[in-house]
Amino acid sequence: MYKLWNKINILFAIGVIATLGSCGKSDPDSPGLEYMPDMYRSPAIEAYVDYGEIRGRERTELKSKLSAMIPPKNTIPYIKGDSAKIRLMMPFLKPTSSMRETHGLFDWDVTNEDTYLAAIGIDNAIKMTTKNKTELLERGKTLYSSMCQHCHGEAGDGNGPMVVSGAYKSAGNLNYKDEAKMALSDGQMFYSISYGKNNMGAHAPLLSKEEIWVLVHYVRSLQYGDSYNGTVKPTASVESVPKAVATKDTKKKGKK
Amino acid sequence: MRFKQPKNKMNLPSIYMKITNYQLIKYFSIVFICLAILGVGTSSSVFAQTGEELFNQRCTQCHQIHVDGTGPKLYEAQKRWTDAGEGELIIEWVQNNSALRASGKSKRANKIFTDWKGSVMNTFTDLSKDQVKSILTYVDSQKPGGDAKGKDGAAAVADGEEAKDKEEGSGWLWYILGTIFITVILSVSGVRRQLKIVTSESPQQERLTYFEEFREWCWKYRKYVGIVSLVLVLSVLVTLFKTLGNINVMEGYQPSQPIAFPHSVHAGINGIDCKYCHSSVTKSKSAGIPSVNVCMNCHKHISGAGKPYEAEVKKIYAAAGWDPGAKAYTNKTSPIVWNKVHVLPDHVYFNHSQHVVAGGLDCKQCHGDMTKMKEAVKVQSTAELNEVEGNLKLSKPTLTMGWCIECHGKYQINLGDGKNKYYEEIHARLKKEKGQKTYKRHLNDNKGVSVAELGGWECAKCHY
Repeated sequence: MYKLWNKINILFAIGVIATLGSCGKSDPDSPGLEYMPDMYRSPAIEAYVDYGEIRGRERTELKSKLSAMIPPKNTIPYIKGDSAKIRLMMPFLKPTSSMRETHGLFDWDVTNEDTYLAAIGIDNAIKMTTKNKTELLERGKTLYSSMCQHCHGEAGDGNGPMVVSGAYKSAGNLNYKDEAKMALSDGQMFYSISYGKNNMGAHAPLLSKEEIWVLVHYVRSLQYGDSYNGTVKPTASVESVPKAVATKDTKKKGKK
Repeated sequence: MRFKQPKNKMNLPSIYMKITNYQLIKYFSIVFICLAILGVGTSSSVFAQTGEELFNQRCTQCHQIHVDGTGPKLYEAQKRWTDAGEGELIIEWVQNNSALRASGKSKRANKIFTDWKGSVMNTFTDLSKDQVKSILTYVDSQKPGGDAKGKDGAAAVADGEEAKDKEEGSGWLWYILGTIFITVILSVSGVRRQLKIVTSESPQQERLTYFEEFREWCWKYRKYVGIVSLVLVLSVLVTLFKTLGNINVMEGYQPSQPIAFPHSVHAGINGIDCKYCHSSVTKSKSAGIPSVNVCMNCHKHISGAGKPYEAEVKKIYAAAGWDPGAKAYTNKTSPIVWNKVHVLPDHVYFNHSQHVVAGGLDCKQCHGDMTKMKEAVKVQSTAELNEVEGNLKLSKPTLTMGWCIECHGKYQINLGDGKNKYYEEIHARLKKEKGQKTYKRHLNDNKGVSVAELGGWECAKCHY
């Protein structure tokens, strides 16, 4: 009996030392102890949870399937408001269903010349009035500062931190006051932001269509200053501005 | 007369030399030649300067120097045309490529057109022959690999890896030292014991076991042994208690990620707003992990400067199914499995847009300053967050319920500036209340209105 007690003593001592030892080093890869893990990771569907493994049970058919998904085909995001506001969310010129299946996300910026030409002459879908001018431009500024500023610069002169740092050397001439860009129609601007143009990628997955129209207003105000009232007469026409696009070869190519 | 030379104390040979007239002329002529060469060099670089300006203004929309972009790379484009036997026609191509193709003079023009059917080159009829030449000269003067930018970052990454290696190495060293130490102690005590047995006159039967010997020793010094064991037991208890307090504290959790994404480069050096990639933060309860197409908006053209970065960007290409050589998507995509850092329990409701849009909080107030975070994202400790500008000084560990409650109790809301529609509505509702009891109480405590006073401590706000 006496000897057994000794052995228990020794085992206890070793246990204590081992516990102390394990406390000493923390592993940054471990989130630490949890009270009730099953309350933390319930099978209820949440964003960014991999349902391939819940509570130790593995389900290969769900692995990496449910965490970040592409919206169903031919659907538009629902926003509150009247029919005019909902109409804003309809596909712009290029129906999303025309994109290849696996690339619902990636193939936005394959420029379809026909639809780009069709964008010429389309005016901003959100009408700017004296009433909503300040609100629109304020919203535009907030959006611009988080979505565009890092390349196009705060004043729209193309000197964003990304260009200045030299990371985006190939960005090219991003100045909004460039002659060719002044001549763009609202529709072309929308098209370029939404589906991408030249080196700019598609921003349709990041911005709603309503937000893009607000941004077009703000970019216009950067181009024309305070005098901008929501209407400019862009000189864009099929023949004049986008030389590359309007050449005969391109037209043929678009039809191919 | 001879001058005595000052003695060199160290007995080193003097560094002074006698220069004859002949040598002087020689040196002058060498310097002159050098200057002349330099002059020619600078004059040619002036020529390239205008080329650089023109290149940046007119070509960079579609072309890069060393990499294919929307259009082919321009480095040694002139040489490629010369190799094809049409060296002079490249200028006509740049000026008006469709006219050149239509004229049928050039086979190469049509070949380029069919190779790059995805993009048609703009016409530049306003560029003169010399201007086109200057652009091409500038482009060819940019040797590949001469890119200095981004190298610092790459070096920093390499340094970090080295430091990690060193840390691991020192860990092993401790293990080895410990083993040696224990072996020495055991062997010395064994020798001592053997000697004691040999020298002792007591008979074999009375020989004590290790444990009995230890007990005897303890009894002999029972005062000290008692104090030491008391301290030991107390410290064990304190540590255990502290460990209990650490349950469910995520501070310092920094899971390794499949791609070593440096927030410091993207949000810091390149000044990209957090909300560009985490775009759903203003619309949804989840801040959103950017899908790969968002990465590709820029990384289609930025393949990473320096080796460690290049390897990481390649992982994005693999995920997006992008073939950088062919400049096309291959349709073979595979998801990037990021590890979640801020894990919210399922029984807690938290809404990002509520805090960012209505509350007007900045991301860094809860997530720390990402513009300085070089490594993987970490759950910041409260001490680190207290340092962030404009933050309240909190005491409870980050991401615990105490932390939420503490901030909701302390944080003052600006009700009356009329800009925030969300609080404006609550303000109006408070004013409508009969007798304005709550409203007056909020006003009278001279502390302003906290989140808790607007219902931020209601259980069902977060648990339902």
